[in-house]
Amino acid sequence: MEKQDQQGMVEVVADKIWKFFSSVKLAVVLLIILAVVSVIGTVIQQNQAPEEYLKEYSLTTVQWFETLGFFDLYHTWWFVLLLLLLTANLTICTLERFPHAWKAMRAPLKPLEDDGFKAVPYKKEIMIKGGMEAAETAALRALQGKRYTHQLTKEQGVTHLASQKGAYSRMGVYVTHVSIILIFVGALIGAFFGFKGFLNLPEGEASAVVYLRNEPLWDQIMDGFGISKSPVIHDPRGGVPAMPLGYYVRTDDFEVDYYANAGRPTGMPSEYWSILSVYDLQQQKVLEKRIRVNDPLTHHGITFYQSSYGTIPNATGRIVLNVSQKNSPGPGETVVLMPGTSVYVKSIDRTIKAAGLAPFGMRDAATGQVQYYQARNEELINPTVELEVYRGKSLAYKTQVMKVDSSEPSMPEDYRISYVDYWGARYTGLQVTKDPGVWIVYAGFIMLCVGPLIAFFGSHRKLWVRIQDRKGQAAVLVGGSSNRNRLAFEREFNSIVEAIAK
Amino acid sequence: MESAQLFNFATVAYLVSMVGYISYLAFRNEGIGKVASYVTYAGLVLQTIALAMRWIESYQMGIGRVPLSNLYESLVFFTWSTVLIYLLVEWKYKTRAFGAFVMPVAFLALAFINFAGISTDISPLVPALKSNWLFYHVLISFLGYAAFGVAFAVSMIFLLIDMEDRGPVRDLGIGLGAMAALAVIGYAMAAAGERMKLIFWMGLGVLVLVWFLYLVMRGAKNKPQVYLFWSMCVTLAIGLMVAMGFDIVYLNLTHTLQPGESMKQHLFKASFLSKSLVNVVVAWGLIAGLFWFIWSKGMSLKKLLVQYVPSQEILDDVTYRMIAIGWPLLTGGIITGAVWANSAWGTYWGWDPKETWSLITWFVYAIYLHSRYVRGWKGTQMAVISAVGFLAVIFTYLGVNLVLSGLHSYGGMN
Ligand code: HEM
Repeated sequence: MEKQDQQGMVEVVADKIWKFFSSVKLAVVLLIILAVVSVIGTVIQQNQAPEEYLKEYSLTTVQWFETLGFFDLYHTWWFVLLLLLLTANLTICTLERFPHAWKAMRAPLKPLEDDGFKAVPYKKEIMIKGGMEAAETAALRALQGKRYTHQLTKEQGVTHLASQKGAYSRMGVYVTHVSIILIFVGALIGAFFGFKGFLNLPEGEASAVVYLRNEPLWDQIMDGFGISKSPVIHDPRGGVPAMPLGYYVRTDDFEVDYYANAGRPTGMPSEYWSILSVYDLQQQKVLEKRIRVNDPLTHHGITFYQSSYGTIPNATGRIVLNVSQKNSPGPGETVVLMPGTSVYVKSIDRTIKAAGLAPFGMRDAATGQVQYYQARNEELINPTVELEVYRGKSLAYKTQVMKVDSSEPSMPEDYRISYVDYWGARYTGLQVTKDPGVWIVYAGFIMLCVGPLIAFFGSHRKLWVRIQDRKGQAAVLVGGSSNRNRLAFEREFNSIVEAIAK
Repeated sequence: MESAQLFNFATVAYLVSMVGYISYLAFRNEGIGKVASYVTYAGLVLQTIALAMRWIESYQMGIGRVPLSNLYESLVFFTWSTVLIYLLVEWKYKTRAFGAFVMPVAFLALAFINFAGISTDISPLVPALKSNWLFYHVLISFLGYAAFGVAFAVSMIFLLIDMEDRGPVRDLGIGLGAMAALAVIGYAMAAAGERMKLIFWMGLGVLVLVWFLYLVMRGAKNKPQVYLFWSMCVTLAIGLMVAMGFDIVYLNLTHTLQPGESMKQHLFKASFLSKSLVNVVVAWGLIAGLFWFIWSKGMSLKKLLVQYVPSQEILDDVTYRMIAIGWPLLTGGIITGAVWANSAWGTYWGWDPKETWSLITWFVYAIYLHSRYVRGWKGTQMAVISAVGFLAVIFTYLGVNLVLSGLHSYGGMN
């Protein structure tokens, strides 16, 4: 007896909770709260260093904000809880209503009886002179003209036409709502099993790890419970944790192109790219790809995005030059040397010395003089090499070669030296992420694009036509209803009635 | 022929159509109305061709980028989408009543570009912005903004028609008094340092929020409050447009934009945020005057309008339809932005202020869409929510750069 009562209690409570979560009012309240709370995180800057906050707020305020999680608001437990509540609301509301909507969509067409005609919001009776047959054809034509599907029944001299269109549109709202659930689930999967990291990789170097901004929650939890060890390598000195990739990634080359104004680079990058190659742990090359901003490389679920670049302080790279004969079109010979060093080039019997290297030189097209400009952070905007060419021990001539040249550098002998690259002095900045949930999120995105269109621009419209003989004339009664967009339906209804009357 | 010339022809077409729609209302002559519509169609076609040509021109210049990347282009595109959406409404609802309200906005925006001499240069883009997703993102978002703009205009008409009278003059006094007090407190607190400025904006935000909530919950029972809200929205819309126009003209006279510098950073520097006290006082004086004028003349406007505009039921329906167009577009805009961010950085959502504000806007319109299912929330409340939604749109577009990034002493946002 007591046990049964308890069960009754449980059921009542469960029922209450279910009711609570299936209400649209709760949805509106949650949306209002979310909208309001989200504002806070746009007014208070997120994820700054504590010193920065202390410049702006008093110590007590900082402590309060810290407690409330206002400095990383969108990841606090209570914000996530609000999102969870909305998702629960959405899920339960969907579960509650979907069966009805499904039934309403699949319900077979039935002729409407007198009571039914009383209940429909739109109805009209007209008389048609041509008799039953003519009325029937007119009605069919009118309905087909508006793309209604119909069902025709005849009983006791009365013709019933039941027709409808747009039944599928009842699904629009559910597609929309499910899409939001999917996006939320996808985001959770990303947070649990994915990570975000970065890697600054100099030209010519390889790495088997990336540095983490956030560790996968799942690994943290599993490690915390001692179930399985997290693959993340923690630096005992408190450095940035590293995530092993399971392979090596190497920067083969990195390059920046700049917008030019009247032939002169402006220092504003138009494009930058890296050639990355992937080696397995046995150091076999697996693949190679040139990545650019907006065009990343993905391997084993981990994606490398070109995000920044920089010059390595005090690093010396290698100057790569090409020497080719002026009169023969061959590819020429590649010559590599360090700044300040010389190399003997056999094919031309000369020693080339790279006397100096400047990050940003430009040749005046008219005078041929080279000018040097200040480059921010020693950025290689137009690297220029000062060359000295020796015949034996004696200096033959001096010249300069550069990446983008406004005119021919002076090459008094019958070969040409040209600039190819200054390699190894820069690093490419890569964002590295793994997000196994992203495809679920994208599926949600697609549904979220489609769902509202179905919901807003479709409507389930039903029309019934009853044709009866009344003293040689046909009495046609038309009734109709639509689940939404009444004004448009009213127009269509009237035009159908008109078409039948004609 | 160059795209710039075609844009000029479109501007002229919109001028003619604006005059046409206003005369149509004034003389109630169907013929004039038809001419106005045809001219508008012609203007839209011209502008469409001009946009396409500008795109092609950018390729010929070797830059090859979508014509949607600076103030000039976004203003042009904004007028284009507004006219497009308006024509859809005209065609769908078979009414030319809104033309007299929408076309002036389109014409003024285009005329303003020419008059203010906003740079029409096609300038290059930084690598991250070179993405088709970005193009779709901006395109779709702007179309959405235009639909919300039309919804806002129609809601404003709805609210005005909905009012029986304007309420006691005391209300105007309270409105003006509140405005003056807030302005004085605001300037004083801003002058007292970054911290006070932040507190002021937070306080103002809370105040505004409480008022909105009050209007939505109890608005139907307190019409004078709604009327005050109406006057404030209209004042804000007109005031913002005029002030921005003034600022940009002033800016062009006194300053050349450096590469990478955005026009938005300079807005209101000639009026509300001017260093000259005279400018500030005059700006506020004008705003107060405008507010007073709108509040006291609103009812006369209502008397005039009632003769032309469709029934409240239809106005409500147009608002809903516009939001039903705008909301999926905004959704698409947010999604394409997320996909772009994911292809550029591997993060589809980063909670940066601009993103977050577009989400807030999205929430507000979601509230609008669901509030039809909340008992007792009808026409008036819906119109108020639609107006709040558009205020959120404006804040997303302007406020994030103007207010939020100005609030912090360190680091710029975005
Ligand atoms: C961010 C979250 C949500 C979004 C984007 C969303 C979107 C939509 C859209 C676009 C519609 C169609 C509106 C219209 O026809 O005017 C709709 C309808 C509806 N939504 Fe939501 N919704 C959300 C959350 C919720 C939640 C949490 C509930 C839970 C109760 C809910 C319940 C409903 C109901 C009952 C309808 C009406 C369905 C009908 O027409 O029969 N929604 N929603």
